[in-house]
Amino acid sequence: MSEDTATGTTAAAAEATITPSHHQRNEAAAFAIGVAGWFVPGLGHALQKMWGRALGCFLTVGALVFLGIGMRGNLFSSEGGDAFGMLGYVADLGTGSFYFAARALETQGSDVAHAEGDYGTRFLAAAGVLNLLAALHAYEAARGRKA
Amino acid sequence: MIAAIAFNLSHFQAMTLFALLISIAFGFLSRRRTSERVKYIIWSLFLFLLIGVGIGWAMYPFSR
Repeated sequence: MSEDTATGTTAAAAEATITPSHHQRNEAAAFAIGVAGWFVPGLGHALQKMWGRALGCFLTVGALVFLGIGMRGNLFSSEGGDAFGMLGYVADLGTGSFYFAARALETQGSDVAHAEGDYGTRFLAAAGVLNLLAALHAYEAARGRKA
Repeated sequence: MIAAIAFNLSHFQAMTLFALLISIAFGFLSRRRTSERVKYIIWSLFLFLLIGVGIGWAMYPFSR
C-alpha cells in the first residue's frame, strides 16, 4: 500500500469518525438555538446574527402579548381542565418568557364576556403560535436549511 | 406596582392590528431583502383585510 493511499484511507476513516459527532454537536447547537428562540422571542435568530428577523419576532410577539393583555384576553393556565384549556395553555406558553411577563401584567384578569377580551385571547394565542413558528425557523436555519 | 393597561378597540381596529402584526412577522420570517419584505407585508395585510371583511359580509345575513 502506497503512502498516499494509506493517508487517503486514514483521512477518510478520520472523517468517518469525526463527522457523526460533529453532526451531533450541530444538532445539539441547533436545538439549543430553537429553545432559546422559544424562551426569548427573536433570540434564536439573534444568536445567528439575523438581526432583522430577531427584532421583527421580538417586537411582533411582544406587541401581540401586550395588546392581548391590554384587551383583557384570557391567559390560560395549566389548570385549564378540558382539552381546549390545555390547547390554549400550550399556545400561550409558546411565547416563552413573555407568558410569565403577561401573567405579571394581567392585574385585572380576563374579560371574555366582551368582544375585546375575546380578541385579546386570540392575540395571546397567535403570539404563542407565531413564536413557535419563529423558533422552528431559527432551528432550521441553524441546521443549515435555507432560511 | 404594575399599572393596569387597557385598550378599547373596535372590531375593525383589532382585526387591522392583528393583520398588520402577523403580516410583519411573516414578512420578516419568509423574505430576506427589505423590498421583498415590504411587498410581502403590504400584500399579506391587504389579503388579511379583504378576506376578513369578505367573511364578515358573508356572515351578515345570518347575524340576526
